[in-house]
Amino acid sequence: MNLEQLKQKLDESHYVYDNTMATVLAVALTLGRPLLIEGAAGVGKTEIAKVMASSLDRDLVRLQCYEGLDESKALYEWNYQKQLLAIQVNMGSEDKDQLTRSLFSDEYLLERPLLKSIRSEREVVLLIDEIDKADEEFEAFLLELLSEMQVTIPEVGTIQAKSIPFVVLTSNRARPLSEALRRRCAYLYIEYPDMEKELAILRAKLPHVDDRLAAQVALAVQKLRGNEAILKKPSIAETLDWASALDALGIRELTPETLHTTAGFLLKNKEDMAEMSKMKLCDCGGHTHG
Amino acid sequence: MADPAVYLEKISAFSRMLHLEGLTVSPQETADACRVLMELGLEDREQVKTALRMVYAKSREEQVAFDRVFDGFFLPEKTIREQAIRQREFEEEIRRQQRRAEQELVLNGRPMELTQEQLRTYVAMDEEHRQRLRNFMEKYKETAARNPGLYDNFIHSVFTRTILEKQLRMEEGGSGGMEADPELGLLYRDISRFKDTEIPKAITLIQGITRQINGELSAKRKRGGRGSQLDFRRTIRKGLETGGSLYTLKYKKKRQRRKRLVLLCDVSGSMVQFSEFALRFIQSLNQVSDASRVFLFSEGLHEADAFSLQNMDLFRDYVRRSGLYGRGTDLGLALEKLMKWKPSPLTDATTLLILSDTKTTGQRRALKAIEEAKRQAGKVIILNPIPEGKWKFIRSAQEFSSVVTMISCSTLRDLAAACRKLTIS
Repeated sequence: MNLEQLKQKLDESHYVYDNTMATVLAVALTLGRPLLIEGAAGVGKTEIAKVMASSLDRDLVRLQCYEGLDESKALYEWNYQKQLLAIQVNMGSEDKDQLTRSLFSDEYLLERPLLKSIRSEREVVLLIDEIDKADEEFEAFLLELLSEMQVTIPEVGTIQAKSIPFVVLTSNRARPLSEALRRRCAYLYIEYPDMEKELAILRAKLPHVDDRLAAQVALAVQKLRGNEAILKKPSIAETLDWASALDALGIRELTPETLHTTAGFLLKNKEDMAEMSKMKLCDCGGHTHG
Repeated sequence: MADPAVYLEKISAFSRMLHLEGLTVSPQETADACRVLMELGLEDREQVKTALRMVYAKSREEQVAFDRVFDGFFLPEKTIREQAIRQREFEEEIRRQQRRAEQELVLNGRPMELTQEQLRTYVAMDEEHRQRLRNFMEKYKETAARNPGLYDNFIHSVFTRTILEKQLRMEEGGSGGMEADPELGLLYRDISRFKDTEIPKAITLIQGITRQINGELSAKRKRGGRGSQLDFRRTIRKGLETGGSLYTLKYKKKRQRRKRLVLLCDVSGSMVQFSEFALRFIQSLNQVSDASRVFLFSEGLHEADAFSLQNMDLFRDYVRRSGLYGRGTDLGLALEKLMKWKPSPLTDATTLLILSDTKTTGQRRALKAIEEAKRQAGKVIILNPIPEGKWKFIRSAQEFSSVVTMISCSTLRDLAAACRKLTIS
């Protein structure tokens, strides 16, 4: 798929992108490289994988990373309980070797996201979300998959990918990733959208919201993100939630009162709320209150 | 599609330049870049830049370096023409100025014997400095007649000094493109040279980095939901619930102890800003140690209370009130007092972290005290704000680093790296 075709697909998915992002996605697809996306929380990293899945008409296989994640949760696990039952049921069986072999067959293999993505007949989009939350050992474990598109299960051997998934890894930079992992990926850093892009996202995702209100929301969010005292910057998803909430309440104009009553959709801690009340966010539409 | 040889040659030269800039460029990246160029061509410069950046640069920091190299390498045709014209004009201007310099720098009716570099230095001087030099030559022309060697030496020393100053300015000018990104720029700058207006930004940056390091250490500490060893006792006990079948396996959990840190901070004159930043950094790292004690020293020693370390103003006030500010440095005395402190803060389980530039009175005594402290504490590390390249000119730095681990951390980036090392050691 070339750049123009991809852009067309992204347009069909109502995804707001810039040239940089479209080029990076197209090149990563062409080269068949995993794509590592870094950026602050809430800038839309995960969304890219979802949009790519829908644009390419592929299934999305998602692996959410966390501390302590290991291959039994990410790649495969033997169904230990089922194996135990099989042993007890076949206790009297003559052919013990056959029983042992059967215990390590597909029947007892629990497929986890990584294995699922490479054993799938159809190409999928594999999202390895928040890789920075996983341990360094897990990163090392991923290297074989990312570079060779294969995995090794000791009892079974090496499994080659039936189809090559488009791999997207995301990281909030909670810790630096290893050089080895970075080298195997193409890299994209995304920042919070600017005013113009934020407004375009609001219009694309919430077309029923009044244009004036959307502009006020976008500007208020830009101001909040620009304030260094705000500890948790509003994400794009929160902006959309906030705009939806305002719209659901029938609000057409942002005022200090409406801001106060609906701020919980945007800011998620007391300190940020207090900081927001000090800011002038409602004069954005040219109509000043308070 | 254009001839692949054209792209191969260009990309291989570009890869070499990126490698010189410190990026890790493997043959895989060069091959990918060739594929990209053959696919996209070179017509749309911005598109090529985006695509190649994605291939070569694997972090935000590398992206900054990549952009710098790309902008210098893949120039638009219009810029190349403009640059060629500018270069021709510049060279012409230099030649003209050098001719003028040769006319101005005359000794006893003859042009002075100057190297090309010295001539270029004279040309690059501002008019005020050139005038001062000409005035000097005019004033002492009789001396020149009597003692041409002395006079000549002086003139040459003026040039040498100017060249050295220029080099020094270049060295201290930060790391080029990093300055383009103010946030990254601060990371690479000498902490002691931060302006007051930059301090809030630096603090925000520290918060970000410490969050990152804490996350990293926390992940390392909690690594693995389970240990690798099977816990037979708990597995058998659990198995009793299922009639003796070992239905659920239980694993042993690793227990890790954090270190106890003792920080000894030099707060004499030039060290105070560095100590403030380093303390803020280390104190924010709740994952580094269970508990830490902070001692401040110059010519005396004081234990700092946690309240005084909360913010910069409180810290400065505390240092002033303690009578340590503006005094000389005596590391040996401070260490001796620390080792006599009751109850002793140094045990086998502690890491003693000394924030010092190693410039102290009584170096012999300090060296002996460091050796003794090393015996009492589990580990002694010196965080030195002087760049490692300059240690060879400082005797104390050489001597102390031969006895204990010394880590250079003149910038926030170095400081972050040092804090990561603390957890490994």
